[in-house]
Amino acid sequence: MPAAARTYWLTSPCRIRRKDESLIIERDNAANVHIPVTDVRDIVACAETDLNTAVISLLNRHRVNVHFLSYYGDYAGSLLTSDTSTSGETVAAQARTAGDPHASVAIARSIVDACAFNVRRVVDRKLLARPYTVLRESIEDSTSQAQLMGAEGTFRRSAWEVIDTKLPDWLQLNGRSRRPPRNAGNAFISYVNGITYARVLTAVRLTPLHSGIAFLHGTMERQRHSLVLDLSEMFKPLMAERLLLRMASRNQLKEHHFDRDTNQAMLSDTGRKLVVQTIRDEFAVTVTHRTLARNVAYDELLYLDALALTRHCLEGTPYKPFRIWW
Amino acid sequence: MITYDDVGGVHIKYLYHCRRQLWLYLRGIRPEHLNAAVQSGEAVHDTSYTRNTPVDLGAAKLDFVDGSHWVHEVKSSSRPSPADEAQGRHYCHRLHRVGIEAKGAVLHYPKTRRTQKFPYTEQAAVQAEADVEAVLAVAEAPASPDRLARSGCRGCSFTDYCWTE
Ligand code: SF4
Repeated sequence: MPAAARTYWLTSPCRIRRKDESLIIERDNAANVHIPVTDVRDIVACAETDLNTAVISLLNRHRVNVHFLSYYGDYAGSLLTSDTSTSGETVAAQARTAGDPHASVAIARSIVDACAFNVRRVVDRKLLARPYTVLRESIEDSTSQAQLMGAEGTFRRSAWEVIDTKLPDWLQLNGRSRRPPRNAGNAFISYVNGITYARVLTAVRLTPLHSGIAFLHGTMERQRHSLVLDLSEMFKPLMAERLLLRMASRNQLKEHHFDRDTNQAMLSDTGRKLVVQTIRDEFAVTVTHRTLARNVAYDELLYLDALALTRHCLEGTPYKPFRIWW
Repeated sequence: MITYDDVGGVHIKYLYHCRRQLWLYLRGIRPEHLNAAVQSGEAVHDTSYTRNTPVDLGAAKLDFVDGSHWVHEVKSSSRPSPADEAQGRHYCHRLHRVGIEAKGAVLHYPKTRRTQKFPYTEQAAVQAEADVEAVLAVAEAPASPDRLARSGCRGCSFTDYCWTE
């Protein structure tokens, strides 16, 4: 997403007000910040945020989406502008592709494969070599989305176990748990996944694709943006698993970054600030893109992947979901 | 898809630059609003020639038409291109369709302080008509036109779409 406009991350409780064509961010104990709306691409609200109708109509006019992360660390929802980039022809092509069992299973397969490839890449190539081979075999044999999800689940379980061997006791996952996360490690993963989901949603909204028509995740799921779930798969390991392992090994995560009781955990205020800061910097990291021959930020990779899927639906060019290549 | 009267200046510009670009644009691939080059193009409009009111012809938006019926277009590039000329011609064509006898197009290049004049001749009118038909033909093509040679894509805001693999 190359643009002059930027993503704004709100990490402390605040109120957004409008003054003409600017947003004013008001916080307790801090000076107000004025931001011209044209400078904003989207907003990720990681802390309690108030806004009113005047703000919403300004954001709407400038196509700025706001993503909210709940206090407990889950993705809570988004304020999406009514104007979208979807185009009838492209959505029709997307729906045709999703409706063709052969074509949609092929996409679902490559998503599961790419996701596992990336997990293995960031967790441990050697220890996950065998599970990855098994996964690829089951992918071959799978003829439905449900089977693919099952195969992915099996692979993921092996991966979580390997991850635990690299974490201090207090940060170990002991299996994946959500809503609420049972322990600190899970709280971390949930939070990062929530942010990744929000970033992918922004990326998808910039393409003419419909966010509700999916290939791996059921289009009829309760979840409205099931395509975003699909596209998040490959990027979650790049962000969540990778950062968890890195921050643990560098001793950056401390027990006081989490509020824990016996059966659930969440990031504390300082923990949330640290994690958001880290993720924000991470999304800005650039790598040299192989076919575009220029540097692209991680954030932009999400958008490029959504574009590649658009191209697949519209023109039938092969879709190769994102794999970590560096 | 689109009809004769929907064909606007952007369609003509893309027709001349790359037919694939036109085909994609018509299907909602519009990465140009993300593209910094386009943003600075808009800035030129905001800051230069503010005293004139743009004329809105539905699909075609002109910068202004002067008292003696010349169409004026402000360009953000520094060099004139066949696409610019075709766009100016198209605006004259549209004006004629609504009964304004446009005499031709004057293209302004503030960056290099150049202007170019293209009178709207009978031959230009025929070409303008043919351009609209060509746009409609591209719109209706079921398959996308091929990419240009990579070197032809330099600076195109669709590069991300066309060349990500
Ligand atoms: S990138 Fe190249 S092929 Fe694609 S629209 Fe632009 S000029 Fe045409």
